[in-house]
Amino acid sequence: MHPQLEILLQIQDLKTQRRELAETERERQVEELEFHVNVEEAVQELDHKIAEMEAQLTPAIRNRYARIASGRGRAVVPVIQGICYGCFVSIPTALATDSARNDQIRHCDHCGRFLYVIG
Amino acid sequence: MELREFFHKDAIELELKSNDKDDLLKELIGLLKLDEKSEGILFKMLKRRENLGSTGIGRGIAIPHCRSLVVNRLRVAFARKSEGVDFKAIDDQPVHHFFLIVAPPLEVSNQYLPVLGKIAQFAKDPEVPKRLAVLRNRDEFLDLLEQKGV
Repeated sequence: MHPQLEILLQIQDLKTQRRELAETERERQVEELEFHVNVEEAVQELDHKIAEMEAQLTPAIRNRYARIASGRGRAVVPVIQGICYGCFVSIPTALATDSARNDQIRHCDHCGRFLYVIG
Repeated sequence: MELREFFHKDAIELELKSNDKDDLLKELIGLLKLDEKSEGILFKMLKRRENLGSTGIGRGIAIPHCRSLVVNRLRVAFARKSEGVDFKAIDDQPVHHFFLIVAPPLEVSNQYLPVLGKIAQFAKDPEVPKRLAVLRNRDEFLDLLEQKGV
């Protein structure tokens, strides 16, 4: 896997975790009541980690990532069975079946998001 | 929705080998049979979640959980470590029983929180830790879920 793609995936996962804690009432309740998580502190810690990870991106990737994230929300999306899960448009078969598909940074031709091919 | 439907037999392990928290998380992740890179990313995510607060909810049970792009559907696993492991649980007691839950960021059927809630409910049943401790095989684990109506 391309090292920058690995960082992008981790950033996206951290942002998902942050969004669920900060914005999803049910998730927040479960984490507070069942696991005794201090949500405010957890969100701060996640913000710090996200910033730390974003600093590890190359300038070109960081710029593109920031542009997509600010306009379209999720900047990194999975490709499952040949479909981009950002815009739900088919991607070229060659990309979906390429054994080294995650060894390069790739984008969806339609929505521009970074792609991570699963399966 | 019944919990039993989500547990694949290959993702049930009744005798974990690991003796510390990190190794145990890795062994637990291994039950999901992902590729090496995905396992590494998932381990980091679960560790970060543990750093926000242990998922050891007491009575010898932990429920490590997170959402991650490395899975394309909800995945769960159950594992047991008879001797117990220090998991920094809420009650400071060793953890013997582990339920792993991983879901993609977006799910069509949105099962992550309901499954997490059901496992937490199951774990609160006072009889459950004792029953988990004496399981002899994977089928008995699945039968216990069914008996408890979760």
